[in-house]
Amino acid sequence: MGDDILSYNGGVALAMKGKECIAIACDKRYGVQNRTIATNFTKIFQYSDHCFVAFCGLATDVQTVSERLKFRTNLYELREQRKLKPNVLYNMLTNLLYERRFGPYFVFALVVGLDPKTGETFVYDSDNIGAISDNVNLVTVGTASEYIFGLGELFFKPNMNADELFEATSQALLNGVDRDSASGWGAVVYVIEKDKITVRELKGRQD
Amino acid sequence: MDVLNPMTYDAEEDQLRDRTKYSQMDKHIIPVEFQQQPVSTGTTIVAVEYDGGVIIGADTRTSAGTFVMNRFTDKLTPLTDQIFCLRSGSAADTQAIAQVVTYQLDFLSAEMNEPPLVRIAANCVRRMIYQYRDDFLAGMIVAGWDKKLGGQVYSCPLGGLLVRQPVTLGGSGSTYIWGYLDNNYRPNMTKDECYDFVLKGITLAITRDGSSGGCARIAIINKDGVERIDVLGNDLPKVFDL
Repeated sequence: MGDDILSYNGGVALAMKGKECIAIACDKRYGVQNRTIATNFTKIFQYSDHCFVAFCGLATDVQTVSERLKFRTNLYELREQRKLKPNVLYNMLTNLLYERRFGPYFVFALVVGLDPKTGETFVYDSDNIGAISDNVNLVTVGTASEYIFGLGELFFKPNMNADELFEATSQALLNGVDRDSASGWGAVVYVIEKDKITVRELKGRQD
Repeated sequence: MDVLNPMTYDAEEDQLRDRTKYSQMDKHIIPVEFQQQPVSTGTTIVAVEYDGGVIIGADTRTSAGTFVMNRFTDKLTPLTDQIFCLRSGSAADTQAIAQVVTYQLDFLSAEMNEPPLVRIAANCVRRMIYQYRDDFLAGMIVAGWDKKLGGQVYSCPLGGLLVRQPVTLGGSGSTYIWGYLDNNYRPNMTKDECYDFVLKGITLAITRDGSSGGCARIAIINKDGVERIDVLGNDLPKVFDL
């Protein structure tokens, strides 16, 4: 697998925007270079009713950054007495990452969120030092991100409903990870709508 | 990682990376995206003798670093009509060896006016690996059937060793199934038992090893010739769901 720190553990995540719904998906592999150790390591974490973040990269940093972010969001909710909005969560995350600008965490992040009142959708991504992106339609991070980007661009259509969005996201993920030996071994897809969140686990190729 | 970690150390992959590394100067000039990883059949190969022939099997993945270049490779390469070699290590090196040995055996069978023995084919492979041991990265298994000794399996690993074994494994994925072999292999198994053993072993290795994957290709070689079976992803036996 080479010396690359970001492909030491492998893993991948993607997010897509639909009409008043968003989908975020990740693979479930936890491995050390060639060897697969577990297939229940999901990389998506929930920070508010409709806000989710996916972290991809070095597994120890995935755990640490998600926990440190949880600490900050808990304090925010206690002080402000209200739930987080997606853009606030995103800014907190990029701030957390930039604090370590010259000794960074080795995780790339995706932040997705939905405003339940207006149905406005938010999909952002960040590199490992907190570069801010625009609110885009499709984002992918991880070792198989290039392969999934190609498929994602192909399957994406504007204003998809929840079912079409689920199909597009799952197909892009499952087929993209077939070309990467450091990701795969199952997938989890969250489809977030105004009134409900649907979680589906996909089997996929176990190789 | 540069540090040698015995738990995850894979000799073939590590040597492959060192051998084909660009000079240190190039590392600074060439952008990271263009620095290529060597193409290796980081792989799982299995071969077992039974009474009357041999059964050989391999996975179907060829990777360059983490990129899967080919999802349905054929690592069972014929050297003659009834002798096959299983390739693991650098894809280029093993393909070159197989081509040269095929020519040598073809010439030999014209001289002797009979098909070559499996041991002779294995020796040709072994000779090439040994001669270029500092340059090649090839771990091969030669298996087949001949009139004199029936089904035989010969292992020709990295440095240029030649040894006949009733059952042998090779490739990066083999490390995960040596225990399975020790527990499940018994001498004098029937053809069907050997087939199940090979298929299950490859499936287990595919599940754990990142460099092995895809489907399983199996060949049964006996006096009647070669029967090839490709077992696609859905049809692989069910193993413990991690």
